[in-house]
Amino acid sequence: MGWITAQAPRPAELNACVDCGLCLPHCPTYRLTGDETASPRGRIAAMRAVADGLVPIDDAFEDMMSFCLQCRACEAACPSLVPFGRAMEGARAELAAQRSDAGRRIRQVLLGRLVTSPGLLRLATRSLGLARRTAAIRIVPAALRASLAGMRSVSRPLPPVRGATHGAQGKQIGSVALLAGCVMDAWFGGVHEATVELLTRAGYRVVVPPGQTCCGALAAHDGDARGARRLAARNIRALSGVDLVVSNAAGCSAHLKEYAEWAGDGGAILAGRARDVTEVIAGAIEDGRLPTMSINRGVVAVQDPCHLRHAQRIVEAPRVIVSAAGYQPVDLADDQCCGAAGLYSMLHPETSHTLGENKAAQIRAVGSTVVASANPGCEMQVRAHLDNWYRVAHPVELYWEAIREKELRSRENPE
Amino acid sequence: MTSVKVALQRRLAAFLSDPIEGAPEGAVAVAPATLVAAAEVLKTASEHSLPVLVWGGGTHQGIGGRVDPAIVLSTARLDSIVDWQPEDMTVVAEAGVRIADLEERLAERGQTTVLPETPGDATVGGVIAAGISGFRRLRYGPTRDRMLEVDLITGDGRAIRGGGRVVKNVTGYDLPRLATGSFGSLGLIGRVCLKLWPLPEAQRTVTLAQPQSDYGYRPLAVIEERHQVRVYLAGTSAEIEARTAELGGSHEEGWWWPDPLEGLIGLSLRIAPRLLADILEQMPSSWSYQALPGVGEVRIGVRDFDPETMSALRRWAESRGGALVLTDAPASVYSTFDAWGAVPAGMELQRRVVARFDPDRIVNPGRLPGGL
Amino acid sequence: MRVVTFVRELQDLLGEERVLADPLRRHVYGKDGGIRRGDVAVVTLPATVGEVAEIVRIASRHAIPVVPRGAGTGLAGGAVPTSPSLVVSLTRLTEIEVDVESSTAWVGAGVLNLDLSKHTAAFGLHFAPDPSSQAACTIGGNVANNSGGPHCLAEGSTVNHVLAVELVTAAGEVLMLGADAPDPVGLDLRGIVVGSEGTLGIVTRVLVKLTPNPPAARTLLAAFDRVEDAAATVSGIIAEGIVPAALEMMDQPMTIAVERFVGAGFPTDAAAVLLAEVTGHPAAVAAEAELVRAVAESNHATRIRVAADQAERDLLWKGRKAAFGAVAQLAPDYYLHDTVVPRTKLVEVLAQVYDIADRYDLAIMNVFHAGDGNLHPLMAFDASQEGVLDRVHAAADEVARVCVAAGGSLSGEHGIGLEKRDLMPLVFSEADLDAQARLVEAFDPDRLFNPDKVLPTGSRCFDMGRPVPEGIWI
Repeated sequence: MGWITAQAPRPAELNACVDCGLCLPHCPTYRLTGDETASPRGRIAAMRAVADGLVPIDDAFEDMMSFCLQCRACEAACPSLVPFGRAMEGARAELAAQRSDAGRRIRQVLLGRLVTSPGLLRLATRSLGLARRTAAIRIVPAALRASLAGMRSVSRPLPPVRGATHGAQGKQIGSVALLAGCVMDAWFGGVHEATVELLTRAGYRVVVPPGQTCCGALAAHDGDARGARRLAARNIRALSGVDLVVSNAAGCSAHLKEYAEWAGDGGAILAGRARDVTEVIAGAIEDGRLPTMSINRGVVAVQDPCHLRHAQRIVEAPRVIVSAAGYQPVDLADDQCCGAAGLYSMLHPETSHTLGENKAAQIRAVGSTVVASANPGCEMQVRAHLDNWYRVAHPVELYWEAIREKELRSRENPE
Repeated sequence: MTSVKVALQRRLAAFLSDPIEGAPEGAVAVAPATLVAAAEVLKTASEHSLPVLVWGGGTHQGIGGRVDPAIVLSTARLDSIVDWQPEDMTVVAEAGVRIADLEERLAERGQTTVLPETPGDATVGGVIAAGISGFRRLRYGPTRDRMLEVDLITGDGRAIRGGGRVVKNVTGYDLPRLATGSFGSLGLIGRVCLKLWPLPEAQRTVTLAQPQSDYGYRPLAVIEERHQVRVYLAGTSAEIEARTAELGGSHEEGWWWPDPLEGLIGLSLRIAPRLLADILEQMPSSWSYQALPGVGEVRIGVRDFDPETMSALRRWAESRGGALVLTDAPASVYSTFDAWGAVPAGMELQRRVVARFDPDRIVNPGRLPGGL
Repeated sequence: MRVVTFVRELQDLLGEERVLADPLRRHVYGKDGGIRRGDVAVVTLPATVGEVAEIVRIASRHAIPVVPRGAGTGLAGGAVPTSPSLVVSLTRLTEIEVDVESSTAWVGAGVLNLDLSKHTAAFGLHFAPDPSSQAACTIGGNVANNSGGPHCLAEGSTVNHVLAVELVTAAGEVLMLGADAPDPVGLDLRGIVVGSEGTLGIVTRVLVKLTPNPPAARTLLAAFDRVEDAAATVSGIIAEGIVPAALEMMDQPMTIAVERFVGAGFPTDAAAVLLAEVTGHPAAVAAEAELVRAVAESNHATRIRVAADQAERDLLWKGRKAAFGAVAQLAPDYYLHDTVVPRTKLVEVLAQVYDIADRYDLAIMNVFHAGDGNLHPLMAFDASQEGVLDRVHAAADEVARVCVAAGGSLSGEHGIGLEKRDLMPLVFSEADLDAQARLVEAFDPDRLFNPDKVLPTGSRCFDMGRPVPEGIWI
């Protein structure tokens, strides 16, 4: 009875909550259901009930915990600074340790093997991509199919970037290790290209260390503490000896910043160096290392990934970047989760679908067919719920495109 | 003189008053000078199941079902301003205090109750019991929003208090608001504490020829009459100048409130504000009116009893969730045209509530809708 | 057995998903924003007024008490069941229907206060009551508690903005009390339902009056070296004949806590901070803001800051509204009081409040709606310390007595609930309380709805001896 793992929700985390309820309106699952047990405050109360030995870790507890998107919108709203995301990872770790079932074991294998192996992932991608265009899609489970609808069509397979080093253009001001990521690497090569180009132009030497692996966010969110620790340890070794560790997936950069939890002192050092690419690029734009376009490209809808906005509190950076590209950034009606939430879309397809539809409706209301999203999961979710004439891209891609276009034009018309 | 009346006069000897002008003749007139005395009167009446008509200034006796009282209880001697705290902007007054007198006192320190502006002889207790609001309700809300505390003598002679003498209070059930517009059905409203508002630095009345869809940001009051519209402004001089310029029309310094409407019959039409413009267009040309846009109240003066048009207007209002209420009429009118019209929802509940305060139903019986 | 049939009947009505009967979920619904925990038999999540009425009929048949619940942000235990009860969560009643021409809206009880104002912003209208919990609390909860907020100073509390309520009665009937027409005929029962804390019936829909958004607003922050000067400024402003939209005060410990949370540049070295807002016609706002500044200066304000734009205004208000939660960073538990005194007694009462805290060795900070004399002394403590809860209780009790003795009242906006029920005899006589009890009886003869709230019943039905879980006492 009670907690058994080192990751378990801690008394200080749970006691920080004073039950004021200011988190409730920010919680997407509470908004959908109106149910206290689907709210951050209710989930904390449930964790406390387990901690106090009032209830066992039972089906009800598992249902309540797994229904959470881990979007951490509640954290940003909490005046008592409850580290809700951390406590929820703890609760998930307890569930994994105490209530291991077949589904969870399969997920762990997937997370442990597939996403850590670029080769396997590429293979899976190709097969799924092929399946998507053929009748074979029917054998893919409906939940997975929905997620796949948002995949990028990779017309131009970009070379893997691992192992490469790119020198700074102009005066070097620092060095960056790029987290190639799992999904990003296989499915979002264009974002890497833009990232490397922009970082080097901003004065960074960029290395893509070969020994790196998945950041471990998905494992941590799912309660696979052992997996999360193993992946963190590998990355700490691989991503050392640089000034900054940069990721262009908000979910990954958010998790890197929490490495102290998963890898002790070494983790804390890496966490201190971790940055989301949007922070670094926006910083370079603001101090003039990167240019601002004067051309007017119209409006772009900015979708805020939860792990950027809520977990890292980065709000302005993506807007600065698209503005520099010549777009006019427009906020969506709210900053609620799009429903992708890592594995959530597969575990709770209905809720995920509703949130995805809500988000798509907000994007349509903006009146632009260009959407900026700084996280691959969100990008896929949003694309899956929009018509195919919408373009969903990472802010750095939009910016890099604008720079490249300008350079091409000035080459053609040297005047 | 009947023997019952003589016996009653003997019983109530300590409280007897001179005949009250305008009150039904034949009833015993009393004017208790304290709430304790008033409780005595009601206890006596309750014991003998004798109907009591409460009488303030007599200005709103035309509203509601007719009462045939054995006793008329005048509040004329409950006439002291008990406590005025200008700094806290609250005043405690007994029921029989004339509004005009109270306002004159309060104006010394630039304050107002925002009760009706042309009260005549109306008393604080009378206006509250009848739920009558002034024109300034557009800006400050109706009379019930002034009510902080009430001292009630229930129909069976209990002295109870609800609310408190602070401007913001959620301690216990809101008896002060329940008493507003209760027409004595809970008992005698003996004493109240009211929230005050400051009188503005500058006051102005702007007169326009035509109604408008917009009179600017929250004017103090707007009165639409058949041939003119008056907009009342309050605030700093600079604000009033700016608003006058926005409105146009002609203006006079100070607030010039219209006199009560003349006519054989007085009506109060109460409808959702959005319906106001429509119905004013259809108002018979012989009727005069004062319409309050944004509030939804139309005070109407009818020259000759016209049951058909009045009934049609009542049906129209009631079918839209409103009401057409008699506010003044010759006695004969009430038998052919009901004082209230349709009985509101929740009448049973109203009866149960009233029974808890006035179990023998002796104070103003039949005055409320549904003969309550 | 009885409970089993009862739950089955509810499930037949609502389906299994909207009837929560497992021990964990019942536990989660056992409490609101206050400290007390109660006993939940089953939770229902109806989506229509018809379902609410049917739930009430089922509960009535089984004689199981019914406790309505909104967002559970209340601080007086109003949504905490005292005996195993059926909790009716009204959060799914979220429809809004605006009548722009009449400036009114029919609003489901589960609509969040701030959502309503966001919804009506397109029409230039808002719902005036703005409790600090407005982002989370429901309109139904506002009606139950007659909620206030900083902007009640000029606009009045919830009751001033409710034109009608749709009420499910103890008999399971649906009654509409009030109307969109002014002065509905008959007794004004809507007025008594507002603030009745769910004891008279379940409010499912509310017709609210909407207030035009002011064309101009100015927010000023003034710092003082002495609390007395801040209080004198409040009186001075009112004496000048203006009623600002809001007039809020924080003492130094509170300012420090808030600043740590919002980082809005609140002066943490000031003994008291006054937040004043004037709204209205642009010409009026400029003049009144000048007046406020002049009064503050003549009362020795050490610094006056005027919010430059909407963003700065929002930030200052965010700081004020997050005050209670922000305190949780200082100590794991806190008790937030809510009392009212005549405005002129503020300084005198405040001195006594500090003295009481000293005597009980408790850290106290103050944030209050100074304009209407509504105090919120807040005691921060650690419930795990031996005997501290007793001291907090005793101090809270004394504070209430001091306020009542100064001509004040027990609660300005949080309600009586369980928290202050037994203090009611301080302000009301037996006859007064008896009259209120009779009134309740007229609505709910069997005390089906939220029994044991508001009025003292002589015995408390819930277990006071139970250890307080993770001590949260807002």
